[in-house]
Amino acid sequence: MMISKKALPRRTFLRGMGATVALPLLDAMIPSMTALAQTPANPVRRLGFVYIPMGSDIARWTPAGEGGVLTELSSTLSPLAPVMKHVTVVSNMELKNAYPGTHATSNAAFLSAAKAKWTESSDYFLGTTVDQIAAKQMGQDTQLPSLELAMDLMEVVGQCDNGYACVYQNNLSWSSPTTPLPAEAHPRVVFERLFGEGGTSPQRRAALGRRASLLDWVRDDISRLQRQLGAADRSKVSQYLDTVREVERRIQMAEAQTLDSPLPDLDRPVGVPADYADHAKLMFDLQVLALQGDVTRVITFQLARETSNRTYAEIGVPDAHHPTSHHGGDPEKIAKIAKINQFHVSLFGYFLERLASVTDGDGTLLDHSVLMYGSGMGNPNVHDHVNLPIIVAGGGAGKIRGGRHIKYAEPTPLANLHLTLLDRVGVRLDSFADSTGKIDTLFSPVNLAG
Amino acid sequence: MPNQGKHVVFRWIAAGVLAASFVGVPGAEQRPIPASPSADAPYRALVNTYCLSCHNNRTKAGGLELDAINTQDLGEHWEAWEKVVRKLRARQMPPPGARRPEDADRTAALASLEASLDGLSARTPNPGRTDTFRRLNRTEYQNAIRDLLALEFDAASVLPSDSASYGFDNVTVGNLSPTLLESYVSAAEKISRLAVGGPSLSPGGATVRLRPDITQEKHVEGLPVGTRGGALVPHTFPLDGEYEITIRLARDRNENIEGLTEAHQLDLLLDGERLRLFTVEPASVKEDEPAKYQPSHDNLDGHLKIRVPVTAGPHTVGVTFAQKPSLLIETARQPYEAHFNYYRHPRITPAVYEISIVGPYNAAGVGDTPSRRRLFTCKPSRKQDEDACAKRILSTLTRRAYRRPVTDEDLQKPLELYHAAKTSDGFEAGIEMGLAAVLSSPEFLFRIERDPASLASGASYRISDLELASRLSFFVWSSIPDDQLLDAAARGDLDKPAVLEREVRRMLADPRSRNLVTNFASQWLHLRNLDTITPDMRVFPDFDDNLRQAFREETELLVDSVIRENRSVLDLLRANYTFLNERLAKHYGVPNIYGSRFRRVTFDGDATRGGLLRQGSILMVTSYPTRTSPVIRGKWILDNLLGVPPPPPPANVPALDNAKAAVKRLPIRERLAEHRANPACAGCHRLMDPIGFALENYDAVGRWRTLDANMPIDASSTLFDGTPVQGVAGLQAAILRNPELFVSTLTEKLLTFSTGRGVQYYDSPAIRKIVRESAADDYRFSSLVIGIVNSTPFRMRKAS
Repeated sequence: MMISKKALPRRTFLRGMGATVALPLLDAMIPSMTALAQTPANPVRRLGFVYIPMGSDIARWTPAGEGGVLTELSSTLSPLAPVMKHVTVVSNMELKNAYPGTHATSNAAFLSAAKAKWTESSDYFLGTTVDQIAAKQMGQDTQLPSLELAMDLMEVVGQCDNGYACVYQNNLSWSSPTTPLPAEAHPRVVFERLFGEGGTSPQRRAALGRRASLLDWVRDDISRLQRQLGAADRSKVSQYLDTVREVERRIQMAEAQTLDSPLPDLDRPVGVPADYADHAKLMFDLQVLALQGDVTRVITFQLARETSNRTYAEIGVPDAHHPTSHHGGDPEKIAKIAKINQFHVSLFGYFLERLASVTDGDGTLLDHSVLMYGSGMGNPNVHDHVNLPIIVAGGGAGKIRGGRHIKYAEPTPLANLHLTLLDRVGVRLDSFADSTGKIDTLFSPVNLAG
Repeated sequence: MPNQGKHVVFRWIAAGVLAASFVGVPGAEQRPIPASPSADAPYRALVNTYCLSCHNNRTKAGGLELDAINTQDLGEHWEAWEKVVRKLRARQMPPPGARRPEDADRTAALASLEASLDGLSARTPNPGRTDTFRRLNRTEYQNAIRDLLALEFDAASVLPSDSASYGFDNVTVGNLSPTLLESYVSAAEKISRLAVGGPSLSPGGATVRLRPDITQEKHVEGLPVGTRGGALVPHTFPLDGEYEITIRLARDRNENIEGLTEAHQLDLLLDGERLRLFTVEPASVKEDEPAKYQPSHDNLDGHLKIRVPVTAGPHTVGVTFAQKPSLLIETARQPYEAHFNYYRHPRITPAVYEISIVGPYNAAGVGDTPSRRRLFTCKPSRKQDEDACAKRILSTLTRRAYRRPVTDEDLQKPLELYHAAKTSDGFEAGIEMGLAAVLSSPEFLFRIERDPASLASGASYRISDLELASRLSFFVWSSIPDDQLLDAAARGDLDKPAVLEREVRRMLADPRSRNLVTNFASQWLHLRNLDTITPDMRVFPDFDDNLRQAFREETELLVDSVIRENRSVLDLLRANYTFLNERLAKHYGVPNIYGSRFRRVTFDGDATRGGLLRQGSILMVTSYPTRTSPVIRGKWILDNLLGVPPPPPPANVPALDNAKAAVKRLPIRERLAEHRANPACAGCHRLMDPIGFALENYDAVGRWRTLDANMPIDASSTLFDGTPVQGVAGLQAAILRNPELFVSTLTEKLLTFSTGRGVQYYDSPAIRKIVRESAADDYRFSSLVIGIVNSTPFRMRKAS
């Protein structure tokens, strides 16, 4: 009886999940909204990294020509056509520290550009990854300094690849050389971490109202204590009262925020979609929401894992990815790798289009984000780490000159790109790992856009 | 029988030692102690003779100028004198090589010094001051919710862990950050809804993941016989309704389901009853494709999903495989026990990785749960009875939550919140809101000890009976008092020693005292660190989480046996029994133990297994991933068993030349020779390393060994007080020769845990008294607890 009274119409906001009934609660969001509210005028820069395993067929990946303005996308990158003006292809990047060529080091070096210590035990050692360095700068005001996501609900310990501990292959993001950050793949768990239970705007407001009345009571109760205590203890009580006031302030901010909510109704996803593309899109949807709600500003996402044996029957590749990638020059297998590459790019394209559809300040979320997409492996057949497939997307708050192809004549450290991205988010470093300089041409030399 | 024989011998030794140690003490307490220094006190003479060559105003060894101190009033340097007692008692001073007093002189000096200090404390007691506000930490909060609402709530899902001070996580608990307050309020809302059966949440749920290094080839305790692997998941279902349970199997790094080479049957159980028997099988092989091009395993476990009606309340969900009649692992090949990594030691059969429980769908009602039975002490049948019933419910609840009788003022605001919610959403929604209010109140979240009004600043006073009841229950149960204890406190009965002791014994006998094992002892003995330690898999290929958890269980069961059977705490060291299951017994090389269940195993004579010093848990938490560390083991024993922690290492200590030593494949003992050769190191390492050497027969995962680096183990050594010892038995005997050191250390740890503050020098007289009195009772565990409960620091408090 009570239940039907509170039951809500079903909605299907998030793709790929069953319809759900939602109730409020935004506890997770409150601090973030505070931060957003405090800085309404500043277009927030967001940083995202998407990883694909096992390199590419670089021939079908690289756009034709010698670089410059991007006039035509390659076949692999063709799904990015609708957002081409936001995309820069960077060719001939290399990761020297990923040698000797393995899957584990491809994943590990992608964001660290560091050499992984050869061990299969818990004395692993890598380097702090670029996203975490950025998060220390950009993530302070948000509820989650960073968000780590993956597609595979799999944890492995011990040895995974040629004597390398599994952490190298499992974790893209490291907050210190000895602290890998585990990624989450379960949409419901991600959602709850971001938004608690979600709910519609009025429901969230009602929940905030209930919480405000509880806080009101807590404040009264503490004040009552204050009258009973001696002078020495009263200062402690004043500290608690300050704490209560701060929480009340957060709730008021959040209440104000829900009135002209930037977030849609939040339905908690329930299971993991059976279909890979549905699952990936749901994970991208969650990232859009996280950025939109300013719950976090730094995200890493492993779109698939090194040595994955996933098959892609839905695009006509019923073969396992990893063995196929050891193509031995077989044109048929190379074509299959290109198909998988294109499929992954299409999912990234979905993400970019979603970001472009969300208004954010004076532009869109995409305008205010920088996203890097690619692999730490070049040619999977030989496990090398040159000619990495790399894309940079997003407007970088008007700072990125998109629609271009930066093509280096000589192999250039991927760390140069990391250094350049860090520079754009306000972390000025002289060098990063094996960097030799910045990629000056990535960003507009003269900032006309603002 | 051999145990009894040992007992008798020990008692005789203990009695002898004690008689010597405490000679004159009882008399000293009655005798008036002169306030000014008496030059003829034995301790003054001993200090003058043996200590001043280093501890003088020029050399100032250890920052101690005993030449000056020894001429001044005792009370002015109480703290320094307690240090002297500690060093003398542990025989750490004077150091070997220096001139040392005869044992009889040392004992006499100690007795006179301790008697003087105890007298000082008797004249000017300082009970110390516990913080006025002490927040329930995560463990206490979870236990309090369980006892208050009959609700198992996973507090770790909403509250951060608490950081430890003085070795325990209930000491620095006065802080309340905005984020923490939000977490507590959020927890209050969630718990209230779960307890009442509040209206439909969106289907929520739990996702339980098994540690990836669990071997699942054998039976798991609690699951049906004839099964292997899997897990038993306790879960509180919020409402009557349908729930979806999904199982996912463990993958190897290639995303293949590991160990799936043939069909297996997977059982899904609810409260032990089968819900469904699934079959998982490998993908059918395509003839025309080479093996490595076979389809992925994406959908091989996609069907492990069921939607079933479940009633509200606590249930257990079991997931496990049917054991196959015969397996390769049972052959005589003696393969490793560990199976969890495709490369190093692959799984032979598939394993469970994740269990998700999501719901309710089509919620059918609040059901009849233990929480509702506890909460709804009345059920209003008519509208006009609702408010009276609400008041009754909330006042019963508030009394236990606040741990004191409630006033109308206490109830006023929660009842207002109840009214507001009732008006819009009905009676039960009102109760839910009122409950959330009580659980958000600082009077629930904090243990508050108030100075009595009009007390002089710094005066000592006896805490109230109600405060005492809380101290008691948080000490023994890590939770709130029950009604019986609260009633006794409210009546003022706890003042009566007989009542107090009866209550303590009742509480110790209650299952909730298990917290002394899982909360107190697991912190004292560093068992909490077990989960963070993973031995190097190249060196110890047979280590898995099953072994790690078995280590923990063994030690917890030993501590539990000492508490439950009210044994002497010395049995923690000298027990000739321990607790083993098949996994652990195999690891230890103990034959004829089969199955997942732990059972008591008694050894005859001197065995390699038994008390704490012989347990894998302790031996592993004091080792490096690749090798043993006599240093860490020695320090652990000094810190936690003997109570004489060595000072921290000085800055800029060069590392041992590990690489060089490793190339030479020298036993660790040789590698540590530098510690004793270099005077800068020797000062402390001569305290630590020799203790550790005696344990060298145990490797870094606690296995018995006789060789290290192909050289015979030399487990003989000479302790800091010059006692020669041989192996673990010798070390244990040396520790037990001065049992009051070990018992004092345990008492200090218990006192820290029970008062929630670091033990200070002025607590030493109280500790000596507890140890002394418990000696008469063979140091039985209950005598220590009762001693603490009756002690000055526990019963009294210093006003601000």
